[in-house]
Amino acid sequence: MTTPRSNIYQTNVYRKSSDDIWNCLTCGLCYDGCPQGVDYPEFVKEEREGKQQGDLVHKGVFTLLSDLMADLKESKTNLAESGNNDSKIGYYPGCLDFHDMFFDLDVDFKSIADSSMKLLEKMDMSAKMLQLKCCGHDQLWQGDTETFEKLKEQNTKLIKESGIETLVTSCAECYRTLSMDYDLPCEVVHISQLLKNADLGIDSNTDVTCHDACRLGRHMGEYDAPREALSSAGATVTEMAHSKNESWCCGVSTMMSCNDRSKALRKARLDEAKDTEAKVLITSCPKCLAHLNCMKTEQESVENYEFDIKDLTVFLAEQLGGK
Amino acid sequence: MSKLVGAVAVAGGGIAGIQSAIDLASSGLKVYLIESSTTIGGKMAQLDKTFPTLDCSMCTLSPKLAEVARHPNIELMTYSEITGIKGDPGDFTVTVKKKATYVDYDKCTACELCVSKCPVKVPDEYNEGQNKRKAIYLAFPQAVPRVFTIDADNCLYLTKGKCGNCLKVCENDAINYEDKDEEVDINVGSVIINTGFEPYDASNLEQYRIDNPNVVTSLEFERQLSSSGPFEGHVTLDDGSHPKNIAWIQCIGSRSPEIGRNTCSSVCCMYATKEAMVAMEHDLDLKTTIFNIDVRAFGKGFEEFYQKAKNEKGIRFINSRPSGVEVDPVTDNVSLKYEAEDGSGIKREDFDMVVLSIGLTPSESSKNLAQIANVEMDDNGFIKTKIESPLETSKPGIFVCGAMQAPKDIPDTVADASGAASKASSLLSSERGTLVTEKEYPPERDIGTQIRTGVVVCRCGINIGNIVDVPDVVEYAKTLPHVVFAKEEVYACSTDSLEGIANLVEEHNLNHMVVASCTPRTHEPLFRETLMEAGLNPYLFELANIREHCSWVHQNNKEEATRKAKDIVRMSVSRANLLQPLYQEKIEFNNEALVVGGGIAGMTAALDIAQKDFKVTLLEKESELGGMMLKFTQLQDGRTTKEVLEPLIQKVESNPNITVVKEAELTEQEGSMGNFKGHIKGANIDEDIEFGVAIIATGTNEFEPEGYFSYGEYPNIITQSQLEQKLDEGVDAKDVVIIQCAGGRNDDRPYCSRACCTVAVKNAIRLKESDPGRNVTILYRDIRTFGVWEELYTKARELDVIFMRYTEDKEPEVSEKTVRIYDHLMNMDFEINYDLMVLSAPMVTPETNELLAPMFKVALDANGFFLEAHIKLRPVECATDGVFLAGTSQAPKLVDESVSQASAAASRACTILSRDFLETIGNVSVVDPDLCIGCGRCTTVCPYKAPELKEVTVETEEIVYTTKKCEINPAICKGCGCCAAECPTGAITARHFTTPQIMAVIKAYGEGI
Repeated sequence: MTTPRSNIYQTNVYRKSSDDIWNCLTCGLCYDGCPQGVDYPEFVKEEREGKQQGDLVHKGVFTLLSDLMADLKESKTNLAESGNNDSKIGYYPGCLDFHDMFFDLDVDFKSIADSSMKLLEKMDMSAKMLQLKCCGHDQLWQGDTETFEKLKEQNTKLIKESGIETLVTSCAECYRTLSMDYDLPCEVVHISQLLKNADLGIDSNTDVTCHDACRLGRHMGEYDAPREALSSAGATVTEMAHSKNESWCCGVSTMMSCNDRSKALRKARLDEAKDTEAKVLITSCPKCLAHLNCMKTEQESVENYEFDIKDLTVFLAEQLGGK
Repeated sequence: MSKLVGAVAVAGGGIAGIQSAIDLASSGLKVYLIESSTTIGGKMAQLDKTFPTLDCSMCTLSPKLAEVARHPNIELMTYSEITGIKGDPGDFTVTVKKKATYVDYDKCTACELCVSKCPVKVPDEYNEGQNKRKAIYLAFPQAVPRVFTIDADNCLYLTKGKCGNCLKVCENDAINYEDKDEEVDINVGSVIINTGFEPYDASNLEQYRIDNPNVVTSLEFERQLSSSGPFEGHVTLDDGSHPKNIAWIQCIGSRSPEIGRNTCSSVCCMYATKEAMVAMEHDLDLKTTIFNIDVRAFGKGFEEFYQKAKNEKGIRFINSRPSGVEVDPVTDNVSLKYEAEDGSGIKREDFDMVVLSIGLTPSESSKNLAQIANVEMDDNGFIKTKIESPLETSKPGIFVCGAMQAPKDIPDTVADASGAASKASSLLSSERGTLVTEKEYPPERDIGTQIRTGVVVCRCGINIGNIVDVPDVVEYAKTLPHVVFAKEEVYACSTDSLEGIANLVEEHNLNHMVVASCTPRTHEPLFRETLMEAGLNPYLFELANIREHCSWVHQNNKEEATRKAKDIVRMSVSRANLLQPLYQEKIEFNNEALVVGGGIAGMTAALDIAQKDFKVTLLEKESELGGMMLKFTQLQDGRTTKEVLEPLIQKVESNPNITVVKEAELTEQEGSMGNFKGHIKGANIDEDIEFGVAIIATGTNEFEPEGYFSYGEYPNIITQSQLEQKLDEGVDAKDVVIIQCAGGRNDDRPYCSRACCTVAVKNAIRLKESDPGRNVTILYRDIRTFGVWEELYTKARELDVIFMRYTEDKEPEVSEKTVRIYDHLMNMDFEINYDLMVLSAPMVTPETNELLAPMFKVALDANGFFLEAHIKLRPVECATDGVFLAGTSQAPKLVDESVSQASAAASRACTILSRDFLETIGNVSVVDPDLCIGCGRCTTVCPYKAPELKEVTVETEEIVYTTKKCEINPAICKGCGCCAAECPTGAITARHFTTPQIMAVIKAYGEGI
């Protein structure tokens, strides 16, 4: 059994093994639990810096892709530049296209980008699709700050050159990284923050429940935006047993720690969603979407979850229809 | 029988002899492979690509050549001929004359020093005389054995006592001008003769002007297409230019009773189509035309290949055979006259080049051999066999296969060859292992901790050497981490190079090895075995593919190709340096067989296996054995089906090793080769069954041609099988019309059903013979009475059976008493009256195939037939080990072909059943149960169904839940690594492709950018 306190002692006081720092999901549930207000995820991030990475999921292929992107000049995310090229608003899809390439989860990740662009246009904020490199979130949290800095430098240059004033992302990890770990000359928003006040002309009338992505929620403090966006679109949000700052993690973060324990978390989370009797479980982070759907689309699964799991933007854009 | 000898003599070292030899040697018998030329390989070695997949012929053949060369149970006797066969089945004495080679094969290293000094140039047989070779020569670079031979007829020293250069330059003292022919006697239990065919000599037909330089034979053209041919793959005219408009004329020396050539050669339509297709790949602007009598695209995948050639590639097929080639006396230009298909009369057209599609004829040496063996030949010079025993000659203990029995293509020849092996070994099963030696490898060397990697860069003759700067790549390889030695080879896969590699390991104390040459698909096993011979674990080998992945695709940019070859070598070395030794595990297994389907194929296979003393269960879903043949009353040779079926059924049912289960089906099936477990359910049975191998012989049904040619509307329209029954009772009809391809060769069933033409022609003859006054008309698209059955077609026409051709776009219109057909040549409609109409409907697969295929984890092709492992060289095996195909379950066939394929399946199955134990591969994928979360994604991607999910309970700190975890069956796993790539948690490791190994390759790639 490993605890934050034992980890801090092991590494900082006894200066012994630091293996256990790789177990932490950095979900931030401890922010509210710590009587001393220690930012334990930040401690983990710093402690991991420059150390040998623990077990990476998917044989490290995503990490490798980002590494290559950092080193190869022309390599960027794959979705072509499109949209309104004169716009001062830029939309950054993140690594959605790579998700489509590698995951077989009955999820069309690219539809998150399409839906986001569609919703922005509906809100009269037609945006320019940005072609950047990987934001470097996973490298940063895997301790590879060297690669992260390379990505950060190149992305910052690209964003400056694009001349945008507002950068919109639909990914909780990109949002956290670009806001907190970059120093950009423009405003960074998560798309839910624009959608919460929007009049999309939708009356959804669907029972949904809302999963808080740790990067959007506890890391950035944004709990209400996705809920308000859903409510103003006519959906009824029923909360799970653990929600907002107490929300349970999807089980995997930073492309590490996919194992029995994180699966147990995922199962517990989906059981909670099932208990709400909602038809759709809404997420605001493509990684949560992948991990939760992975559990749902298991072969010969011992559990059966009837509800759909969808990204906020896809859920809303679907109902725009031809309007 | 007094004495049995556990050895077999195989005469003829073509693909047939090679396959027979490998099958026999692998099931524990000693094999003498006797070949009259200097190398094994036969005609297949001369082919460029093979139809219908356009695979490179030499690339699929050469691993088999090397396998023969290395097999400890095969004694190769090249440049040798059989001069006498005495004795009885089980104990023959075969006299073999070994011709003098004037080179000591044990001393020659094929260094080629002698070749450069030999002053004599003679036409090179391998390239059909289109270039020159020396008097001391190697037939082709991949020749086995790879040693030089002096051509005594042309050698200056041997004919005139002059020169002697080769003796002077040979550093190994290998030249021996005093060499003499010698005769040796070998003692064997049975003999297989398969000395193949000779291409028809086109100079017999003066009107086709083979004397003109712009007219070539199809075999000459084949060599021109080949990159190892006389013009390095560029089709070339006499003046050095390249033709823009080529015509093929079919049936040169085939289907011509007027010159005593009665048979169809079975392969020419397809090879001409293939040659046209390949030539068009070489030159995109090339125009091609094939003049034919019928397009005989009857084998598996052939019809689809033909349609693609015609409709997608734009090859022009003209249904007319020019009666000769016309040569302009002034310009020497060639032109052809033919009858246009649209009724517009005779046309003349100029071509740059004319290819004569020469047929397959029995060779003189085959005829001699037949006389020596005292076996009967038919009127056409092929070896006489019976439909139910197509591999057995008139003399017991002597078997025949391949094109010596009838003209046939490579897959049929390979099936025959395995079948003949089965027959030849049936008698000798008690003697298995008595005359052979187990191949022994030295113990593994201590490889220490220091990585010492060797690199061999192969020129592959000109294939790599002419594009990639090989010496530069060698020098570069020497600079790579851990590389302690690097060199080049002309052909790394040749026998002497392989020995050289083994020596390198010793000399330089290497513990990892990289060969930069061609594809691991064909060549990795050879190099791995070489490592084992050198005392290294075979998994310490890495192949860098600088041919398919480099020289072949970058022919126009030598500099960049060299740079890429270096990239590939650097990446391979980075991986090789991380390779680990892996070991195989022994698995106990069940040596009983299950045969599914009790038709002629299933019964033959069961009997063949039972005769080798293995237990067989024969499963038949109907209440009696016999299958599709029960619906037919007469065979194409005129005998009744009963005559063949009844004794066979009796033999099967009385064989103590065979358990016949009727009215039952296989309902469940799991496990893998050696350890299959199934469940049989039926009228009288409901029990589990265990077996080690399975043969699928589920056959086909006759298609019910509902909706075609008014079938079902009028009672006097019946199918071919219904006619068969009627013919026994007597047919009461004055005017009979037979329509071919009723429901076949269309969008729904795009394949040709192969047997229908022969069956229809046979029945037309029956109808005519029973009432000569009766009118019999056959409406056809192409008459495909291939091989020896062409004689039936000739006979039918002699009996005044009328044949009228129709095309798919203008099908005959059938009303109650008449049928209307459009005749292309006359450009008009005809109306024919009929009392009885017979539809030749295709064979279709039973629906149960859909259930059986997933149970055995094998695939079905687009037409519902079972998919073989390789269309050319593994026609009776499935991609799943231990599962074999017999009869029409694989593709439509005639009875004799089904029988021969059934024996082949039995032969392949017995190479497994006769083992003492099975072995896993070394690089099976493994699961770390602590990391597995049971998502099951591995089960969806594994092509072999090796991972299975087993239920477990997981206890974490707070949550206890039930899930599944993956286990990989090492007996099934082939180490492909799909599961490892798919596994999200990293629980699965593909042991020969670990993450660090792959990452090293990717990083090494990155270093070059």
